[in-house]
Amino acid sequence: MASVSFSDVKKSFGATPVLHGISLDILDGEFMVLVGPSGCGKSTLLRMLAGLEEISAGNIAIDTRVVNDVESKDRDIAMVFQSYALYPHMTVGENMGFSLRLRNDAKDLIAQRVAQTAKILNLGPYLERYPRELSGGQRQRVAMGRAIVRDPKVFLFDEPLSNLDAKLRVAMRAEIKALHQRLKTTTVYVTHDQVEAMTMADRIAVMNEGRIEQLGEPLELYDRPANLFVAQFIGSPAMNVFDGIFRGGAVEALGTRWPSNAKAAEGQKVKYGVRPEHLGISAQGAITAEVVVVEPMGAETELVVKVADASLVVTAHGRSNAKPGDAIKLAPDAASVHLFDAASGLRL
Amino acid sequence: MKKKYLNEAFLLLMAVPILLWSLLPIYHIFLFSISSKDSAFSGALWPDLPTLRNFSYIWKQQHFYLYHFWVQIWNSLWIAVAVGALTLAVASCAAFAISRLKVRGGRTVMNLALFTYFIPAAFLAIPMYKAMGNYGLLNNRWSLVLAMVTLASPYAIWVLKQASDKLPWELDEAARIDGATPLQLFRLVYLPLMTPSMVAIGTYALLLAWNEYLYGYLLLSHERTITLAVALGHFTAADDSPWELLMATGLVYALPPAAIYYAFRRYMVSGLTSGAVKS
Repeated sequence: MASVSFSDVKKSFGATPVLHGISLDILDGEFMVLVGPSGCGKSTLLRMLAGLEEISAGNIAIDTRVVNDVESKDRDIAMVFQSYALYPHMTVGENMGFSLRLRNDAKDLIAQRVAQTAKILNLGPYLERYPRELSGGQRQRVAMGRAIVRDPKVFLFDEPLSNLDAKLRVAMRAEIKALHQRLKTTTVYVTHDQVEAMTMADRIAVMNEGRIEQLGEPLELYDRPANLFVAQFIGSPAMNVFDGIFRGGAVEALGTRWPSNAKAAEGQKVKYGVRPEHLGISAQGAITAEVVVVEPMGAETELVVKVADASLVVTAHGRSNAKPGDAIKLAPDAASVHLFDAASGLRL
Repeated sequence: MKKKYLNEAFLLLMAVPILLWSLLPIYHIFLFSISSKDSAFSGALWPDLPTLRNFSYIWKQQHFYLYHFWVQIWNSLWIAVAVGALTLAVASCAAFAISRLKVRGGRTVMNLALFTYFIPAAFLAIPMYKAMGNYGLLNNRWSLVLAMVTLASPYAIWVLKQASDKLPWELDEAARIDGATPLQLFRLVYLPLMTPSMVAIGTYALLLAWNEYLYGYLLLSHERTITLAVALGHFTAADDSPWELLMATGLVYALPPAAIYYAFRRYMVSGLTSGAVKS
């Protein structure tokens, strides 16, 4: 168990800066997710914490001990790779016990720890098998087992579920989350999938172009995105955003007036953001839209509609009778609308 | 369908002459080795009285040229195995350092290794003779071992480096995080994963040394230190060469490489071509 702190950490590859001074404190026992599009620097940050990349500037500390120049093996961390990185010539049991073997632990102790961990992960029957004889999900569990066996201070996950199919991904997500609740080990988890981030994290750091755009709890990010990037990155389907001008307590855009409880200066150019589920369909709605596509999902229905020339996504609860070509009325929930400054993209 | 048969017929037409072309000399050797001295040059496709007497002479070392047969084949074997093992040690360490530890100057070493291909081995024979003389190693098995390791290493490093590059980088990182030192990484992760390429390269070096004539001829001269390859050369020194014995000894000499190839054929193709193309 340990806290992790990044203070003004920078990284350049040659002349190309990839991280511009990241400061982030991860609490003891916390499940922190670093999320962002590919190339945002999240994996680099994780690899720096793992000791696999040099730190160009700043400090990384584990439990207040600065580890900038500490070898990976002496940082007391364990990492799960996207490709699992299991040793192909070792059995599952040998894979899991490898770090203990390098530590010169007694054979009985290794066997005992491996058996314990295998029990937690339901890997008991597979200990004698080789990685090539396992399914993707089982390999993933072995990779986790290899991390757990060592009882490290910090778990690092680098996109561990990317190679799994959709169904397995959901199952493993729950498994990792449950595991964290059981072991309470500080965890840093990197992913590009905002659904993974939302469902697993205690706190999320949304990263973009080498900076942290926003740090907060999942619903905080969802409800109060600090800027346009976070607003559009978090949430699926993504938030509808379009340009408008704030006048008389509402936003004039797409040839009509859009209600908003958020305020801006009179006449200010803004970006109007509203999530698909907050664009209510109502006979009393003031905004007319034309249905273009209907996507029934079962529990809810996603409609792609057109207002003026803009395509918007609307999520309706339950089934919808709308058909392409129909005209519907929209009533946006003014309390759930987000306004962003058109120039800076910051939340108003 | 018709086209497929035509294709096969064409391939067969090509294959038969090539097969004959390759097998004829071997048959010729075989024919000589089971003929008596008188009938060896009779020109018959099969001897009137096939005999295994030549092999008996070899076994019992009952001929002037064969007095040291067992010592000489032992020399060949000793040198070949030593060259195989030493080349593997040199090349695997070099490939690991260059490919996995990314040591400085690794690229230069690779380029130099490639450059040595431009220098024919025969060109280096005299300098090598001089060098071995300076070290006082002439007429010592080690001189041939060292010379052959020198000749085999560049290619071996090149092939093993290419094969190493194909190992997933994450394995090294995982091992580092698991607490492996570079030496443990080499021993516990790298070597086991390189086994197929190592077998191929070990066999390559072993056979290179086993078949070597020129260097053996230069560096070793005493009857009890020479290899069998050099000893075979001595057969033709006399006016009245015992061809049937030469061929029989040659056949015996060719058996170990054939056996090795057969045993490791699975590794040979995959090991030597791995890394040849970027996948």
